[in-house]
Amino acid sequence: MPRSDSGRRLLRSCVRAHRRPVLLASLLFCGHQAGEALVPVLVGVVIDEAVTTGDPVALITWLAVLGLDFLVLSTSYRLGARQAWAGDVRSDQRLRMMLTRRVLDPAGGAEAGRLPGSLATIATSDTKRIGVVNYALPHLVAAFAALIVAAVSLLVISVPLGLLILLGTPPLLYLVERAGRPIERRAEPSQEHAARASGVAADLVAGIRVLKGIGAERAAAHRYAAINQDALTATLTVTNAHAWYQGTILTANGLFLALIAYVGGRLAADGALTVGGLVSAVGLAQFLVGPLQAIGWANGMFAQGRASATRVADVLATGPAVTSGSRPAPERVRGALRIAHLSHGPLSGLTLDVAAGELVGVVCPDAAAATALLDCLGREVDPPAGTVAVDGVPLTEYPPAVARRLVLVAPHAGQLFAGTVESNVRSAAPDRDPAPALAAARADEVGAQTAVTEQGSSLSGGQRQRVALARALAADPPVLVLHDPTTALDPVTEAQVATALRMLRRDRTTVVVTSNPTLLDVTDRVLVVRDGRIVADGKHAELLDRADYREVVLA
Amino acid sequence: MRERELLPVAPPARIRAVVAELVRPRKWVALAAFAALLGAIGANLVAAPLLGWIVDLVVEDRPASAITAPALLLAGIALVEGALAVVGIALMGRLGETLLAQLRRRFVESVLALPLRRIEAAGAGDLTSRVGTDVQVLGEAVREAVPAFVRAALMIALTGVGLAALDWRFLVAALCAVPVQALTARWYLRRSPQLYAAERIVGGAQQQQLLDTFGGLRTVRAFGLADEHTEQVRLRTEDVVRVAMQVVRLQTRFFARLNAAEFIGVAAVLTTGFLLVGDDLGSGVTVGAASAAALYFINLFNPINELLFLLDSLQSARASLARLIGVVDLPPEAEPQRPAEPADGRVLARGLGHAYRPGQDVLADVDLDVAPGSTVALVGASGAGKTTLAALVAGVHTPTRGEVRIGGATLAELGPAKTRETVALISQEVHVFAGSLADDLRLARPDATDEELRAALATAGALEWADALPDGLDTVVGAGGHSLTVVQAQQLALARLVLADRPVVILDEATADAGSAGARELESAARAVTEGRTAIVVAHRLSQAAAADTVVVLDGGRVVEQGPHEQLLASGGRYAQLWAAWSGVREG
Repeated sequence: MPRSDSGRRLLRSCVRAHRRPVLLASLLFCGHQAGEALVPVLVGVVIDEAVTTGDPVALITWLAVLGLDFLVLSTSYRLGARQAWAGDVRSDQRLRMMLTRRVLDPAGGAEAGRLPGSLATIATSDTKRIGVVNYALPHLVAAFAALIVAAVSLLVISVPLGLLILLGTPPLLYLVERAGRPIERRAEPSQEHAARASGVAADLVAGIRVLKGIGAERAAAHRYAAINQDALTATLTVTNAHAWYQGTILTANGLFLALIAYVGGRLAADGALTVGGLVSAVGLAQFLVGPLQAIGWANGMFAQGRASATRVADVLATGPAVTSGSRPAPERVRGALRIAHLSHGPLSGLTLDVAAGELVGVVCPDAAAATALLDCLGREVDPPAGTVAVDGVPLTEYPPAVARRLVLVAPHAGQLFAGTVESNVRSAAPDRDPAPALAAARADEVGAQTAVTEQGSSLSGGQRQRVALARALAADPPVLVLHDPTTALDPVTEAQVATALRMLRRDRTTVVVTSNPTLLDVTDRVLVVRDGRIVADGKHAELLDRADYREVVLA
Repeated sequence: MRERELLPVAPPARIRAVVAELVRPRKWVALAAFAALLGAIGANLVAAPLLGWIVDLVVEDRPASAITAPALLLAGIALVEGALAVVGIALMGRLGETLLAQLRRRFVESVLALPLRRIEAAGAGDLTSRVGTDVQVLGEAVREAVPAFVRAALMIALTGVGLAALDWRFLVAALCAVPVQALTARWYLRRSPQLYAAERIVGGAQQQQLLDTFGGLRTVRAFGLADEHTEQVRLRTEDVVRVAMQVVRLQTRFFARLNAAEFIGVAAVLTTGFLLVGDDLGSGVTVGAASAAALYFINLFNPINELLFLLDSLQSARASLARLIGVVDLPPEAEPQRPAEPADGRVLARGLGHAYRPGQDVLADVDLDVAPGSTVALVGASGAGKTTLAALVAGVHTPTRGEVRIGGATLAELGPAKTRETVALISQEVHVFAGSLADDLRLARPDATDEELRAALATAGALEWADALPDGLDTVVGAGGHSLTVVQAQQLALARLVLADRPVVILDEATADAGSAGARELESAARAVTEGRTAIVVAHRLSQAAAADTVVVLDGGRVVEQGPHEQLLASGGRYAQLWAAWSGVREG
C-alpha cells in the first residue's frame, strides 16, 4: 500500500469520527456566508426602495430585513465556529492519544529511527494540522455556498455584469497568486536566514555559562552583531518582495473594480440595470474575494493535513520491536539468570549464569557490547540467536511487560519525570515504603519532597542519578540490572552507595554493568566481556592481579 | 532553593524613551512611510465617490459614454494606490526590522555582559523566555500586527474624513457604532490576555509532558509506567481542549458584538442618507453620495474588526518590549580604574568563607595555595563545598569572608574582565553552539588558524572524531546540526579551554554522565589540557586525584585533609579509606 494512501485514509477517518460537529459547522457557516453576501444586496435594496423614493415604510421594512440578516449571519458564525473548533481540537486530541498509546506500547518499535523530539512534534504539530482539516472543511463548504449565492444574485441583477465578475474574478486571483509565488519562493531562503538571528541569540544565551567560563563574551557579541546584520539584510529583501506583492494585489483589484464600474455604469445608463443593482454588484464583486480566498486557504490546509496524516499513519503502523509471549507471570521467582549462546551486535555466543541472590559485576570495555547486552536483558530487542532465561524460562515466553517485571534494566540515562523526588521513586512501587531505597542511593539528601521538573532538569546530574538509582532499588525486582549507576557521584558518596547497594540487594539477584572499581569491589563475582564473550570470571580483588583488568578498571 | 530575583522590566516611560531614541535617526524614513501609506489609503477612498459619481450620472440619465471619465479615473487611482502602497509597506517594514535588529543586538550584548551570579539569581528560565518568546512576539508584532494596525487605523481615520466630506452628518451617523465597539474592545481586552496566557501555558505543559514521556520511553517501559503516563498525557490534552474552547467562545462573542455595531452603523448611515436625500433643507446630498457613504461604511467592517482584534497582540508585544528593554538597561559590571596584572598563575585563598544566605555557611576557613602550573584535586561528598570553592576562585561569586589572590592580586584588583582573562572555568553545563565546529571553537579565540584549531582538538583527544565528521571542522553541530555525544561535547569544551589559553583553569564535573569508559578518555584529555597551567579540578574519580600534585579533601565546607596523594595515603585518614574502596586494596 503506498504511504500517501494510508495518510488519506487516516484523514478521512478523522473527519468521519467528528462528522457531527463538521456537518453542523458546515450548515451554520453556509448560513453565515449567505448572510454576508446579502449585506451589500440589501444595502442596494434600501437605496433603490427607500433612499431613491423617499418612502419611510420601505426604509423601516428593509432596515428590519437587514437587521434580521445581521442576526442570522452573526449567530450562525458564532455557533458554527464553536462546532468547527470542537471538531478540530477533539480530532487533534484523539490522534494524540492514539499516538501516545502506540508509542508507549510495551512491545515498542514506534520510536525506531525517530528522535524523542520528532515523535513529540508528530504528536503535537502533525496532529494539529490534521485537526485543522475539520475546521477548514466547513469553511470550504460555506465558501462554495457563498459563491453560489453571490453568483445567483449577480446573475439576477444583470446577466452580462454577473458573467463578467464571475468569470473575471478567478483568473484575477490566479494571476495574483502566480505573481506572488516566485516572490514568496525567493523569500524563503532569506526567511530562514532571518530566523537564524533569533535562533543564534537563544543558543548563545543557552550557553552563557560556557561563554563566561572561557571569557568569550566579546567574541560572542561580535559574532552575533554580524549574524544579526546579515539577518537584517536578508529580511529586508523579504520585506521589499512582500511590499511589491501587496501593491500588485491592490492595483489588480482596483483595476478590476474600475472595469466593473465601467461596464456596470454603461449598463445602468442604458437602463439595463438599476442604480441599486449597480451598488450591489460592486459590493458583491468585493465580497467574492473572501470565499475564493477561503477556498485557496482550505486547499492549502488539506495539503498540509495530508502530509501530516502520512507521518502519523507511519508511526501508528510501525511494527512491534519484540515478539510477545503469552505465558502468565510466575507466582514465585527465585531469580536465577541464565544467558545462553546470546548473539546480538558485538555479542557472539555469550553465555553466563548468575545464581539466585548473587551480586555480579560485568565489565564490558566495548560500550556497544554493553548496550547490546542490556537491550537483550530489557527485552528491547529480539536477539537473532540465544536466550535470556529466568529460573529456566526464556523471557520471550512472557509478554514484554511481564518480562520487565522479572528483570528490570535501569537505563544508564534513567530519566526522571515531573513531580517530586518521592513521586518518581514511588512510581516504581506504589505500595512500598520508598525510604530504604532513598537512603541506600543517598537520594534522601536531595529531599523526598523536592520538586522535579520535566526530564529532571531542576536537579544536578548527581542528584538525578541518585534518584534514578533509588527508583530502581525501590522497584525491588527479582533480577535488577544496573548500568554505570554512579558516574555522576563523587567518590565519597559512591563508596557509601556501593555498600548500601550490597546490603539492600542481599538475597536478590543483581547485575551491575560497570568498570568502576568501588562498585566492583562489593560484588560477589566479576565477569569480563571481550570480543562478545566472557574472558574472565572471578573475584574483583583476585582479578586486580591481572594487568589487562587493572588497565580497564583503574587507569 | 534560593529565592528567585527576576531581571527587571522597563517602566512605560523608559519604553517610550528607548523607542524614540531608536526611531530618531530614522525619522525621515518613518515620515516617508507614513505619508506613502496615507496617500495609498487616500487613493483607495477616492474610489467610493467616483462610484457615487457614476451612480449620479445614471440617476441624471446621462449617456453611457459619460461613464468613461470616472471609470478611467478609477483605473488611475488603482495604479497610484498600488505604487504608494509598495513604497509605504517597504519603508515601514524597513523601519520596523531595523529597529528590531538593533534591539536584538543590544539585548544580546547586555545579556552577555551580565555577571553569572545575576543570571543564576534570576534563574535560567527568565532569560530563556526573554530571548525566545519575547524576541519572537516582538518580531511577529513588528512584521504583522503593527503594520496591519497602522493601515487599519489610517483607513478608518481617512474614511471618517471621506464621510465628513460627503456630508458631516454621515460621519456622525457612523460614529453611532463607536460606543458599542469601545465597550466590546474593553470587554475583550479584560479577558484575552489571561486566556491567551493560559492557552500558551497548557500548550507548553502538553508539549513538555510529551517530551518527558517520549524522551524517557525506555524508563517508562522498564518500570511499566505506560498507563500512568497515558493518563498524564490525557489530562494535559483535556486542558488544551478546554482552554481552546474558552478561546473560541471569547472570540466569537467578540465578533458577535462587533456585528451588532456594524448593523447599528450601517442602519444609521442609510437612514441619514434617506433623510438628507429627501429633505427640503437643500443639503445637496444626492443618491450617489448616499450610496458612497454606505459603501464607505461597509468597507470599514474589516479594518475595524482587525484594529480591535490586534489590540491584544499589541498589548503583549508591549509587555515583551518592556521585558527586553529591562535587560538592555542593566548597567554593565563595574571595572577597576586600572586593573592589576597578575604576576603568575599562583592561586592563593586565605580564610575563605561563603554563605549564600546569611548565617548558613557552605564554606569556612579555607586556605589554599596552588603553585603556578600545579594541579589541585578537590575531593568530597556533594554539598561539601567543592563547587562553591571553584566558583569563588573563578570570581563567579564574591566570598563572604577572606580573599582570593591570583598572581598576587585580589580578584577585586583584577576586576571582572581581567579575572576572566586569567581564569577559565568549565562548569557542570555542557553546550555545543549551533554552527560549524570551527565557529564554536573560535568563540574561545576568534583569530585562531585552522592549524591551531586542529592542535587544540588533538590536545583534547577530539581530532580523530572531528576529522571523521561529514564536513570535518566545517560540520554544523549543536541544535539543528550533527549531534555530538556527551563525551565529544566535553572534549570540545576542553579544546575551547586550550584555545582560550588562560594561566589558571578550573574544571568542575567535567567527566560526569559520560560512563566509565568515556570518563577515562576525558580524564586523559583534561590532563593534557591542564599541562603547564595552574589547575583546580573537582575530582569525580579518584584517579583524577591520584594524578594531581595536591589533594584537598573537603567536608561540610571545611578542608579536612590536604597534601600529595602518597602522603595522604600514608596518613591513613579519610582519603586513604576512599582510596582503599576505589582501588580494592583493603587495609590490614
